[in-house]
Order: sequence, then structure tokens, then C-alpha cells
Amino acid sequence: MSERKQTATDAGQAALSADRKSNFGSTPDPWEACTRLEHGGDRSFAWSVREQVIDALPEDRERIEGRLLDALRRAGLSEAGRAFVCQMLALVAGPRSVPVLAALLKDPKSADDARYALQPVPGPEADAALRDALGSLSGPAKAGLIGTIALRGDTTVRAVLAGIRANPSEAPVVRDAAARALDHLKA
Amino acid sequence: MTPPLPLARRAFLKQSGLAAATAAATLILPSGLRGANAPSRKITVGIVGSGNIAHSHYGKLLGEQESVRILAVCDVDRERRDEGAARVNRSYGTADCKAYADFRELNRRSDIDAVFICTPDHWHALVAIDAMRNGKDVYIEKPMTLTIEEGRAVVAAARKHHRVAQHGTQHRSMKRFHDVAEYVRNQGLGKLERIECFIPPNNRHVGATWKAEPVPAGLDWEMWLGPSPWRPYSSLGCHYNFRFISDSAYGQVTNWGAHYLDIGQWAMDADAGGPVAVEGHGEFPSSGLFSNATKVNFTVRYANGVPMTCRTRHEGGGTSRFIGERGWLDISRNRMTASNPDLLREMQASGKKIQLELSNDHHENFLACVRSRKKPIADVEIGHRTTTVCNLGQIAMVLGRSLKWDPAKEEFVGDAMANRLRGRAMRSPWSLV
Repeated sequence: MSERKQTATDAGQAALSADRKSNFGSTPDPWEACTRLEHGGDRSFAWSVREQVIDALPEDRERIEGRLLDALRRAGLSEAGRAFVCQMLALVAGPRSVPVLAALLKDPKSADDARYALQPVPGPEADAALRDALGSLSGPAKAGLIGTIALRGDTTVRAVLAGIRANPSEAPVVRDAAARALDHLKA
Repeated sequence: MTPPLPLARRAFLKQSGLAAATAAATLILPSGLRGANAPSRKITVGIVGSGNIAHSHYGKLLGEQESVRILAVCDVDRERRDEGAARVNRSYGTADCKAYADFRELNRRSDIDAVFICTPDHWHALVAIDAMRNGKDVYIEKPMTLTIEEGRAVVAAARKHHRVAQHGTQHRSMKRFHDVAEYVRNQGLGKLERIECFIPPNNRHVGATWKAEPVPAGLDWEMWLGPSPWRPYSSLGCHYNFRFISDSAYGQVTNWGAHYLDIGQWAMDADAGGPVAVEGHGEFPSSGLFSNATKVNFTVRYANGVPMTCRTRHEGGGTSRFIGERGWLDISRNRMTASNPDLLREMQASGKKIQLELSNDHHENFLACVRSRKKPIADVEIGHRTTTVCNLGQIAMVLGRSLKWDPAKEEFVGDAMANRLRGRAMRSPWSLV
């Protein structure tokens, strides 16, 4: 072994030894830490995830999408963590994400986050999930959902929207949203 | 479409002899009665958002009492709306100006002609579209919208409802900015080589973490957030500071960039188009409440190859500098300098081949267009294109990569992720539809 290599090895062992004796813990996994994000809390690990999502090359985005979906399934997912992961999915999500997001879309507590992720996802799978959620949501969440459906230009939903607009048992905010959506889809 | 008001206010007063009578507040009639025989020619105004920016409008509009009447003020903060309405009523000596907590109520008043939109940026598009849908002309503070998608929707609404819609980039109505843009368009600097815009720093810092606070009495926090993602209230992130949080605005890129990049767009004859490429590298805080770039550095490039940069300058404030083969011109609100005084003299000369529209007062221009139904000096299409340049810079800095932009299709070329950043889903029940 050359003198330079021997010196490097010694230095490495010394560092390892120092680490074992130190009080530092291991660095948290940012993909796990971001799911425990709280409003006002340290978001530096979420930032690390964000950087990985943004820097992902097109051929690597499916893998990143998978990691985000795994994050959504983690136990202990916080509300802020869910919102963050959905905002990241809005950048990379494809049809593979739709079933997971569709489940979140039907729950009023998570519907906005799911819609944030789904709105830019191209393709009929996302359209179908959005249409399907119309039967599960009510009030403001349903109004927001109608807006997203219309913005995506899904004309197959016109008859359903006409029914909502005419239904007196729907909340005014929902009926108004349906009326505007029909106007938008007519244009 | 609302019929045009055929007479200028002063001419009408002179002809009708109503000058003294209209000084009273009781002659304000609904816009539906604004026809040729209507007894009032005052343009009736509502102001949505009653913070610092709105107060500059109060000051201006209250000085135009012969031609304008503020009928309503709206803010989700009771203290602010009451203060705004009280200021108006003090000035008029009446109690007619009403305060609203919800802009939709104000927009549905049939006696209001025009709405000034002075809310945080994340509300601009929704308030403007709702106002235009209800037959109001709009003056939209800059930046016109938060996202590119919102901007296109605002333009579409203005055209659909035949509304006059002015973007609040008042540099367009300052003669020195006009003169520079016109001079550059006439090749006064010879071949234009580049434009350099400087904007002030995003210099607020409130620490790496923050705490939720009780919502103050009188503030409707849910309505303040409106379409932006939910977060708990913090006094650090409300009112003026919204601009440092990317859920609501894009920092100084849209705050000052909307002004200085706008003059670049004007000089580049890009009011109906825009650049074809952008690259940027911003420095963003990775912790804390504020999320917008603390250091801005991006460059857009036009089809003729001319680049326009936008960078943070920590001292000296904002400027636009135009650099051509004959020298440079540097312009801000307070001063104008040149590499050679001859350029400044030449710039003032008359008889230029290309003559740009001249407005010396952004409010007067808007009010005149409300009467004439002509497009204002900073029509929403122009505002949208300038705001798009801000957005292109923001997106390039967020992604940290070079992007190609198709200004006709308003799409990034070959970058799906960048295209997704042109818009965003809104929190329920809000939507662009």
C-alpha cells in the first residue's frame, strides 16, 4: 500500500471512530421526514425532496412518482405532509398515480390536495377519477371539483352538470359552479 | 356591452349646467341609467382590497370628485375596510360609501361601473373575472395574475364580456418610460444588443420556523387565503408580506419585475407575444415561512436574439437599462441617464417614424377608456404578456434549467414539468371557471 493510500485509510478510520463516539444521529430520510411536515416546522427535508423531484430527468420521473406515492401511504402522514406530497405529484404524476389520488379525492379532508395533484395529469384515467368523485363530495369541495373538471375540458360530463345545476337539493355554491362549468364547456 | 358614455364629464357639466348640483352625492345613479339622457356622468367605483396599494388609489380617485365616485370598499379585514370606507366618506362628507367583506357582493351592485382590484396577487384573477362577468370594467393591480393560466383566463373574460381592463403598470403612463420605449423602437440606440432590468431585493427574513397564531378579530382568514393552499394564520405571512410566499405571489419578480420588464416588452414590440427562451438561477430559502427567491437572476431571449435579464440589486433600486450599438439608456422612476447626453436629446426630438401611444396618467387613461370603450394603454393582453415574462423567469429559476417558450401557443417546448407550472388547482370552492 502506498504511503498516500495508507494515510487516507487511517484518516477514514479515525473519522469513523469519531462518528461512533459522537452524539450525532443519522440523517433522517427526507422522503420519510417530509410526510411528517407541520405548518411552521422545519421544511428543509421537504426541500430536499422538492429538489429531487425538480431535478429528476424525464426517464427517472416514474421512479420519483413511485417514491411520492409511497410517501402518501406512510402511517403518520400529516396534513401539511400530504399537501406537500400532492404538490410534488402535480409536477410528475401520470396515470399510475390516479388510483391513489382518486381515493383521496373522495374524502373532503384530502380532496383539495388530491385535486391539486390530479388537475394537470393528462389522460382519460384522471378525467374518470374526477367524474367519479362527483358522487362522493358535496358543498365547496364539490364546487372545486366541478371547476377542475370543466377546466380540463371534459365535455362528457355536461349532462351530469346540467342535472346538478337543476337539483334544488344541491348547495347553491355547487349549482353555481355547475352553471359556470356548463358555460365554460359550451365555449 | 355597456353603451359608451358619449360626453366627457366636463363637457357634459358645461352643457347641462349641473356642475353645482353634481357636487352633491345624491346624483349617483346606477350604470344602467348611464345613457345619453342620464343625469349623472360620474364613473362609479368599487375598490376590492384596502391595503397600502388601495390607499394610493383612494388618494388619486378622491381627487377626481367631479368625474369619479367611490361607492364601495371591500376587504376581508374589517379594520381595513372600515378605515377605507371612512376615508372615502370623510372626503365626500357623506356616509354613502359602503364596506363589504365579500367582493362578490360588491361586484353584484348594479350601480358600480368599475372595480379596482388591490388584493394580494392570488386573488387578482378571480376578483377580476367575477367583476367582468357582472359587467364591471376593471383596473387590476400588478402583477395582473399569479399564474400564466390565470392571465389567459382574465383576457378571455375581458373579451367575452366586452370590458375595459387596465393593468396597473403605471410606468406605461409616465412619459420618460414612453420616450425610452419609443426611442428604442425607432432604433435610436442603433441595433439593440440587450436589456438589463434590476429589481430590489427580497429582503424579509422571519426565521427558519414560524408559529401559527390566533386569527385576529375581524379578519376572515379563510377568505384571505381564498384559492391558495391552506395554512394557519401568522401575522408574518399576512397583508404586505404575502408577496414573499409563493402560494400568493412571486416576490420582487412580480412586484417590481412587472414594472421594469413591462417597459422592456414595450420596447421590444412584444405586447402581443413575448420571448422564446428563458434561463434562470434563483436562490430560494429552504426553510421558513417565506419561499420566494432572495436572489433573482434570469434571462429571457426574444426571437431576434435580444436578451433581457432581470437581476436582484441590493442597493440602488429598480431600473431598466437598454444597451445598443450607439450606447445605453438607464431609466427608473426617479432618473434617466445615458452613456451620452446626445442620446437623451435625440430621444426628445419629435417626428419619429414609430410613435407609441402616449398617456400621462394611468387613472385618467383608464377612466377615459371606460367612457370611450377603447382599449387602455395597459390593456389586459399587454398585462398578461408582461406577467408571463415574470412567470417565465420564476419557472426557470424554480426548475434551474433553460426552457424554450412558444409565445403563440403559450407553452413551453418539450418540458412537461414546466408546462404544469403554468397554472395550479385552486382550493375549494374556487376555480377559474
